[in-house]
Amino acid sequence: MNEITESQNQRSAAVSLRGISKFFDDVTAVDSVDLDIGDSEFFALLGPSGCGKTTTLRMIAGLEIPSAGSLQIFGEEVGSLPPNKRPVNTVFQNYALFPHMSVADNVAFGLKMRKIPKSEISTRVHEAISLVRMTGMEDRRPNQLSGGQQQRVALARALVNRPKVLLLDEPLAALDLKLRQEMQFELKQLQREVGITFVFVTHDQEEALALSDRIGVMNDGRLLQVGTPEEMYDAPIDRFVADFIGRSNFLNGTLESAEVVCLANGQRIRVPEVDAVSIGDEVQVSLRPERVMIGDLDSAPHDSAQLSGTVDTETFLGNSVVYRVALDWMTIEVEADHRPDVERYHAGDRVDLWWRDDAVAVVRP
Amino acid sequence: MSHSHQRRLPVWALRTNGGAVLLFLYAPIILLVILSFSASRIPGQWGGFTTEWYATLFDDSRLQRTISVSVRVALVSTLIATVLGTMAALALERFTFRGRRVFDALLYLPIIIPDVTMAVMMLMFFSQSFNVVDAVFGLGISKGFGTIVVSHVAFNIAFVSVVVRARIAGMNATLEQAASDLYASRWQAFRYVTLPLIAPGVFGGALLALTLSLDDVVVTQFVAGPGSTTLPVYVFSLIRKGVTPTINSVSVIMLVASLILVAGSVALQRANASRGRQQLQTSGGTS
Repeated sequence: MNEITESQNQRSAAVSLRGISKFFDDVTAVDSVDLDIGDSEFFALLGPSGCGKTTTLRMIAGLEIPSAGSLQIFGEEVGSLPPNKRPVNTVFQNYALFPHMSVADNVAFGLKMRKIPKSEISTRVHEAISLVRMTGMEDRRPNQLSGGQQQRVALARALVNRPKVLLLDEPLAALDLKLRQEMQFELKQLQREVGITFVFVTHDQEEALALSDRIGVMNDGRLLQVGTPEEMYDAPIDRFVADFIGRSNFLNGTLESAEVVCLANGQRIRVPEVDAVSIGDEVQVSLRPERVMIGDLDSAPHDSAQLSGTVDTETFLGNSVVYRVALDWMTIEVEADHRPDVERYHAGDRVDLWWRDDAVAVVRP
Repeated sequence: MSHSHQRRLPVWALRTNGGAVLLFLYAPIILLVILSFSASRIPGQWGGFTTEWYATLFDDSRLQRTISVSVRVALVSTLIATVLGTMAALALERFTFRGRRVFDALLYLPIIIPDVTMAVMMLMFFSQSFNVVDAVFGLGISKGFGTIVVSHVAFNIAFVSVVVRARIAGMNATLEQAASDLYASRWQAFRYVTLPLIAPGVFGGALLALTLSLDDVVVTQFVAGPGSTTLPVYVFSLIRKGVTPTINSVSVIMLVASLILVAGSVALQRANASRGRQQLQTSGGTS
């Protein structure tokens, strides 16, 4: 763990985007994105479909040419180079394995195109196939493989070329839930083993949180925020980010000073210091349902922010209970643990809600 | 009661219909085969068994020449039309360029316009351009083998590209992107990924072109020159001169040749399919 944080401090940019934009006719698919992805980093581009994340990945791959901006891979400008001239390889969303070739021929394809000597090809293909644990399946055709196996072949086919950066377009989207979880684990392990930069695109926030060192959230072609999974969850700076990663309540207010927000009901609460918005701006306070405490009326500790309301609905989820608590100015969702020692409330109960000052994040509305 | 009655009637009607269709399709062919062995001088009459007409066929040097012209025209025009038609299909399916829609529409014209119109067009084109070539370079070119080939290529490109396009449309374009991502140049991506995958379409298009070329009478008759008559044109001219039973035997030979062609392509497909199945079974056994 320490090794990783240390190397994170010193690493140079594997992929560097400066003002990268892509227009399709009148549509702006990617809008002036600035991004540095570190060497041997596992980076996720997260966003809803149509947000420009796949277009961004395809520009790094060379499958789309940027309309504007600079794109460097390890310091070399590659913006207008065709894909076959870039030190990157891609795992496509539906794997795009060549159906008329065996597993071994699929994996060997990139090496053959680069005219690597035959003996070297066979050792490297063998290595790559055993890396993804597909030994013994060399002679099969892609249509004789399961989804997970095809995924592994696609990984081997890309990794055998020893790319400087591996790009993955929704690598797990085509797999069923159980297989997806298995492959998540394998992918992470594989990245540690080969130690190269992985950039992957996903719309699945859990996948992004589980796999990546850092996440970049995109919406409408813009890159909204970049950070570690914890930063993205704990300290989102944009309402979209807070809403897309996990669930959240959004309380309208105005930033009065660096650490105080005046909520729409006139109440003042302390918030963690922010620099993404300026004092006097309209903001929203993001309050995660599981970070709100719920208790009997007047039971809230006096030194923390608190609100009072009435339980409107309750939803039992097994390990937790989700309450919708109606205040006179908004409704707040609260997720409480379901344990014998936690008080259970029902619709109509008057309750207090409170939270620690550092449990919230101030976001751009 | 009324239900079963209603049901029995369509079965009876369907059977009759099916029988009628088969009779309509195959009776003339069977009749032709039988009559080609008839000893009677009148082509439509049975006069005892003979193979005389086949024997005269093999002595007829003019007929053999026309067969040779037909085969050569068909092979050369098929080759050219297949290459050009495949290129046109790729351009239309994989690239966007100015005038793509116009090109698309124009490409289909030879399929739509009547043969006679096509024939007159080609004839006028050749005579005009030969005049120009004669005036400018002083070269006297005449109609013949070359003009037939060019005309056949002209209509076959359309058919080949239609068949190949259907195949390309069914092929995932991501595969070509994957090839270029794996360091393949445009040509290598085509050679190692696109071509093997569209090969059945290209082969099918070529077979269609071959058949159309071997079959064509109208266009060929307009653009052929002396000494470059194809078999169908020759057969057609035989009928005009007065029908002899030789026509029957020529037709039977053409029939047999096309049957062999079709059977060959079916056998090839079967062999491919069973090889694929075997692979599936053997690899299934090892797991």
